[in-house]
Amino acid sequence: MIWLNYTIFQRVIIGCIFTGLLTGLLGVFVVKMRLTAIGYSIAHSAFAGAALGLALLADPLMTALLFSIATALLIGPAADKAKLPIDTITSIAFSLNMALAFIFLTLAPTVGLSSEVASVLWGSIVAITNRDLFFLVVLTSIVIALVYLFWKEIFTIMFDRRMAEADGINTKPFIYFTILMVGVVIAFSLRLVGGILVYALLFNPASSALQFSHDMRKIIVLSPILGVISCISGFFLSLVFNVPIGSSIVLISTIMFAISVIISPKKRREVRT
Amino acid sequence: MVLAIKLDNVSTVYEGEKRPAIRDITLSIREGEIVYVVGPNAAGKTTLLETINGLLPVFRGSVRVLGLDVRKHGRKVRCQIGYVPQDFMVNSNEPYRTIDVVLMGRCGKVGVLRRLSKVDKEKAIEAMKLLGIEDLANRPIGKLSGGQQQKAMIARALAKDPKILLLDEPFSNLDPESRERLSELISRLNKERNVTVVVVTHDVQQINNSCSRIVVMNNGRIIADGKLEDIVEAAEKILPINFWRSL
Repeated sequence: MIWLNYTIFQRVIIGCIFTGLLTGLLGVFVVKMRLTAIGYSIAHSAFAGAALGLALLADPLMTALLFSIATALLIGPAADKAKLPIDTITSIAFSLNMALAFIFLTLAPTVGLSSEVASVLWGSIVAITNRDLFFLVVLTSIVIALVYLFWKEIFTIMFDRRMAEADGINTKPFIYFTILMVGVVIAFSLRLVGGILVYALLFNPASSALQFSHDMRKIIVLSPILGVISCISGFFLSLVFNVPIGSSIVLISTIMFAISVIISPKKRREVRT
Repeated sequence: MVLAIKLDNVSTVYEGEKRPAIRDITLSIREGEIVYVVGPNAAGKTTLLETINGLLPVFRGSVRVLGLDVRKHGRKVRCQIGYVPQDFMVNSNEPYRTIDVVLMGRCGKVGVLRRLSKVDKEKAIEAMKLLGIEDLANRPIGKLSGGQQQKAMIARALAKDPKILLLDEPFSNLDPESRERLSELISRLNKERNVTVVVVTHDVQQINNSCSRIVVMNNGRIIADGKLEDIVEAAEKILPINFWRSL
């Protein structure tokens, strides 16, 4: 059992709330717009970027952000123009990013897995700074405002992109912006969850929420709540068992997904007489 | 009479393909016409519809819809076209109510940064009533039968108040009574609202008296275009004679 001082505790709880909210909300778009492969790819590029930051003794958050944004900007148009299945491109990007990340980590001046390297890999409770929290709060506000403003377009695109185009909606800016936001959110969530596991936070709460309702409006509220619950429960689990916070969060969110599949009300057969 | 659709020497090639899916198509459809497009599989019928609404970019030639060049004004044009794709099936777990899906048809027309209003909802419900599916409004769309989903997609196209309807095999999942009702609805919309309709179908039984012309396609080309009696001779070369006798 780890005991934290109150300031750090408070900071981590706020970090968990906003990371859970953001990843839970964006996760629904990623899953419903079928961008999971892209999200996976961006997560690993953020990891490679953070590793480069460590090697250059620069701020890992900034290099992760740069790598994520670069990947997001490249992969959106590339996915549209690709002649190969998106899974193939993502697999290539995944192996490249992991290779780069491990090369950068070996180039880091500190030998072995220092605490900073470990935090990039597995996430760390103490790594979250007040500046990170500020960015997370601003980012959450921006994403919620944009979702509110463009809800009908996002709602329509999530149902079927081609039909949305047929109805006269320009889908490209929404898809590219979602990919870009995924890149930014992953970079900011990296400190808490770690580069290897961060993408799970994008998919698990959204996939769990999808088990509970036939109404997208309810899912869009439920998924961020499940994201927050995963992050906070994972945080306490990591305190109690002294394990990396990223792993605990993923463990909790995966258990949550398994339970949601088992108890899903969508699978019940109700006969009304 | 004003032209609703004009294709001039149009060829469309799918990405990665060398052979055009439709080639050298020249076709004019006047406002208020009902045109049925028939032909065997892979004749280019669906490609023709998606070239008209600009979902597929033309490789050669020009497409003008309601006087606008589709290449330049694709989205503006699509806001005026109700499109029903072929065999559009929804996953049974899709978290959307039927009314939500029908309302989506209004989104492009309403425009960005504007919310859907009470009028939009009324239009959606009116469209559902025309198809006889107003009772299904709050049911998850994925839980509906294939025929009911087909009707919901047609209602989505109608909710838009379209000037042009492009229907790709709209009768395919419907029972005989629903086919008859849809056929009558197409005629009614055409008469009452002067909607131009292009229907791709294999089901020639549904080609009724209100049909202005039949376009016969084969191997990506139009091989006959006109009234039934004018095209039978050419059409018999690619479709069995029984196909036409059934009309």
